[in-house]
Amino acid sequence: MNPAISIENIKKTLGKQEILKGISFNVETGDIFGYLGPNGAGKTTTIRILLGLFRADSGKLEILGQDIKLSETRRKIGFVLDADGLYDNMTAEENMEYYARIYGLSEADKRICELLNMVNLENRAKDRINSYSKGMRQRLALARAMVHDPDILVLDEPTSGVDPSGQIEIRQIMIDMAHEKNKTIFLSSHNLDEVQRICNRIALIDRGEIKLYGELESLRQNMSKRMVIIETVQCIEESLLAEIRKLSHLGLQEMKRNSLIFSPDQGTEVSDIISILTGLGVKIEEATRKEASLEEMYSTILKETESS
Amino acid sequence: MREIILVTINSIKNNLKSKILIVVFVCITLMIAVGLALFFCLLLIAPEMNKPVPDRTQIELYLSLIMYSTCIICMGINMNVFAFQSMTREKSRGNIESLMATPLSVKGIWVAKSLAVFIPGMLLGEILTLAALLAVNYIYFVPKIGFVYTNWIGVVGFLTVPLIYLFFSFLVFLVGLTGKPATGNIIVQIFLPVILSLMINLVIRQVLDATSWPFALANFGIAAVIAIVVIFLQPRITRERIILSS
Repeated sequence: MNPAISIENIKKTLGKQEILKGISFNVETGDIFGYLGPNGAGKTTTIRILLGLFRADSGKLEILGQDIKLSETRRKIGFVLDADGLYDNMTAEENMEYYARIYGLSEADKRICELLNMVNLENRAKDRINSYSKGMRQRLALARAMVHDPDILVLDEPTSGVDPSGQIEIRQIMIDMAHEKNKTIFLSSHNLDEVQRICNRIALIDRGEIKLYGELESLRQNMSKRMVIIETVQCIEESLLAEIRKLSHLGLQEMKRNSLIFSPDQGTEVSDIISILTGLGVKIEEATRKEASLEEMYSTILKETESS
Repeated sequence: MREIILVTINSIKNNLKSKILIVVFVCITLMIAVGLALFFCLLLIAPEMNKPVPDRTQIELYLSLIMYSTCIICMGINMNVFAFQSMTREKSRGNIESLMATPLSVKGIWVAKSLAVFIPGMLLGEILTLAALLAVNYIYFVPKIGFVYTNWIGVVGFLTVPLIYLFFSFLVFLVGLTGKPATGNIIVQIFLPVILSLMINLVIRQVLDATSWPFALANFGIAAVIAIVVIFLQPRITRERIILSS
């Protein structure tokens, strides 16, 4: 079976800047795929290529085994872009009807009603969008993205600027879409907590290259093997800390009171860290492996990229 | 075709929901059209009609100029009021980008957006031109010399000027979508006074007779030149270019 989204060695240059330097990944049907990266990493460009808004310079992109240039393929994708693209002078219902007609649905009243219900906007269906809050707009944009019942949803920061209860609602909708209706969700987000909560697979892009890609759980396990917490008897002095920082292969990430968190290079074992610290006069109370959070994985990878 | 009609209707609805713009457009258009008609009537047509034997050629010329100016000014003001606002708003709010991510073709979107600005202006322009033709005729001409109208007056007022503005709308939106909307707006701002003063000067200097086929042909020529520029530039309309210019 074809993956929902297959990207192979995609390159894209805009002006003189190489935005994507040969990225590759697959998104399987039913995945909630988190696409992470700092500003300017190439996330939006990837999304634009996925939606057929930009043409890749080279590489291969397939959506459900088809070329995105085909109008038939575009019908299989729903999207929420950074700017929601809703018409302020129109009501929620009119916005939905417009997109339903664009996708060739003539009698979509029932579907529109269901979707507005799903995003809790049924009572505001006849209100103009210019009276909506940011959260309501995002929910409406999500409903609009689903009006033609697409197989894939491409969402660019759908919870950005939304209050916590709105975020929870949007997250739940995404989970329901993936788990109950077997839709594929491609979620670009800066919200690492959100990605950790709902995504099963992720890709991390930085400076146009994929730095991390795979099942979130296995990535966490792999990363956890690399995260070491050293509990010390006393607080570490600033001068000693500076010396430890100089030992880049130890990868000191953080210091909290009597704890030092390391993300050592491959080949550096816990025993190596202990012996080096002991040699520097650090009295160690305990050394444990730490389960990595997505945030830690993210910052570790980005730091590694920066230092390399 | 279905997609163009759909997007055009929606865009017209959306443009017309901006009440302030409609009031500005209608008021300015009415003021200028009525003012222009009054200027011609009181200073040129009335004295001519007071002569024992009015010169029909002169009368046809004045009528032609009233209709030509009314039509071209109405459509010009419409472009001034709606084109820039429509392009800027829809680009900055992501409406265009969202439309381009649907199965709609990018050229279909461009044509539809151009028509959405052109059609209301054309309708109002033609209604006012017709109103001017009837009003001037029934106030001044019908009681004395009968209904004044020539085919070439009709061709210019009801065919060539709308044609000029149709292609001009395509050009303005092409430039505004693939570049900065302000650039499209500058073209709009320059076009109306330049074209109007050029054509009226040609008539006043008797290079062209506003009631003759060469005048109609000159207007067709302007429309054709704009159409050629549009055809030449239209390969520039790509999704990527529109997004990068936003």
